[in-house]
Amino acid sequence: MIRNRSAIVGIAQTEYVRSIGRSERETAREVALGALADAGLAARDVDGIFYVEGQLGEATDLARRLGVDRLRAWSATSGGGGAACGPVVQAAIAVASGLCEVAVAYRARNRGAVGGRPWTKTSEAVEGWNAFQAPYGLVNPVHTIAFTARRYLHEFGAPPESFARVSVAQRRYAGKNPSAYFRDPISVEDVLASRMIADPLHLLECCPENDGACAVVITTSERARDCAQVPASILGVAQGVCSQHVPMTNLYRDDPWIWPGHVAAEDLYAMAGIGPGDVDVVQMYDMFAPVVLYGLEAYGFCGRGEAGDFVCDGHIDDIDATLPTNTAGGSLSEAYIHGFNLILEAVRQIRGTSSNQVADAEISLVAAAPVVPTSAVVLGK
Amino acid sequence: MDHPGMVGQRPLPALEPHTAPYWRAARERRLTLQQCTRCERVQFPPEINCTHCGADEAAWIEASGRARLYTWTVCHPPLLPYFAERAPWAVAAVELEEGVRMTTQIAGIEPEQYVIGMPLVVDFEPIDDERAFVIFRPAPAEDASPTEED
Repeated sequence: MIRNRSAIVGIAQTEYVRSIGRSERETAREVALGALADAGLAARDVDGIFYVEGQLGEATDLARRLGVDRLRAWSATSGGGGAACGPVVQAAIAVASGLCEVAVAYRARNRGAVGGRPWTKTSEAVEGWNAFQAPYGLVNPVHTIAFTARRYLHEFGAPPESFARVSVAQRRYAGKNPSAYFRDPISVEDVLASRMIADPLHLLECCPENDGACAVVITTSERARDCAQVPASILGVAQGVCSQHVPMTNLYRDDPWIWPGHVAAEDLYAMAGIGPGDVDVVQMYDMFAPVVLYGLEAYGFCGRGEAGDFVCDGHIDDIDATLPTNTAGGSLSEAYIHGFNLILEAVRQIRGTSSNQVADAEISLVAAAPVVPTSAVVLGK
Repeated sequence: MDHPGMVGQRPLPALEPHTAPYWRAARERRLTLQQCTRCERVQFPPEINCTHCGADEAAWIEASGRARLYTWTVCHPPLLPYFAERAPWAVAAVELEEGVRMTTQIAGIEPEQYVIGMPLVVDFEPIDDERAFVIFRPAPAEDASPTEED
């Protein structure tokens, strides 16, 4: 019903910088127009707009400023970093079902210099499940992932440098990506010598906060054939949340190592009619390095608790490796656009235009944060 | 780092209808948990219904107060001002004998002495007349459960 019925035909991004000097409203319009131009389409062709909650401006706002004649479908996806692929999921559904024909999906995010961190607005009277965390000092996202990271090392006996190896691998890819925010090579020693943020996580195991925006254009497979670029066909899409889930820690679940990503992965592969062994290249959400390990397991690239060894054995860190992962540098080095930049790299791998191109990449998977309500897309030629 | 909107006070738990009994019991130095009257599963944190089977209500039971250290972190700035002034700030999670886990703090020892799986016993730190933080301390040798962490 959805498989191969739509394709990503246009991509665009702003520069990734600390302070971009334009509002999220402006950069959203800029990348929407850029992605349409890339596709060889015009603003008047747009009839669907899909975005992520928590940015300035919304779908109808962008529609007006693009001059959209008839907006026929729109929605916002919740879930923070797990929502990254949500707009593409919703656009693929809308296009495949005929609700709309040309959809823009985008994320604009200014957090480098002026944007606040949501955790800084923690209430003095905390409600819900967070009333049982924040008052004890478990406030910042990095604290929650540090919780899981220490437990992961203990429970599975993963090598202590597992997380650092992810940071090093992605920086190496970023070195060849002229758009990347961080490009200078780093070593495992550099990572482990960087400032401790939340033990056991160091500064270089955390993504930066920066400004920027990204957009993609999705249309029907028929119309995609007439567009300017090699279409990245949407083979599968999924969203998912596991039972008993509390974002980031999964602490109250009987088995905290079954994440929302596991739910999305199962549906994603079923829709696409493939398995993890068919995937040529992966973009795995990585606001903190351990999350890449959790995602590799959730999406079936490694067994439970085996991702540390997988990463340390060099299986992700080269275009000739078993599973090239975050080939533009990911959130850790390319930029943190809440995961949306990972989608663009997944498309480039299908087009054959990545600065770290995986030879003959035919199946390209991109997954949003597996540790919160999540989303994922698998693209093909 | 200067963040407008940062709170200067320690974040405190709001008293909501389904959580107030927990915090009031803690103020009386009792650790309580919800147990479903239908499926008998114990759950934490408190909810308005059983999140395992969906039953409308869960009854309050008294926990043994025995737990084992599950994980921990030591937080460095940037932090909320309250924690930044006291940084580095250690926070831990424990697994209770009843099977549920909770975020807490460990009193009586420094993070260098934390060992995942170490036996702990509950203690309480009053906030006001209606609430107390639930914290844990290393179990006295005679209280330590003989079984090792599985």
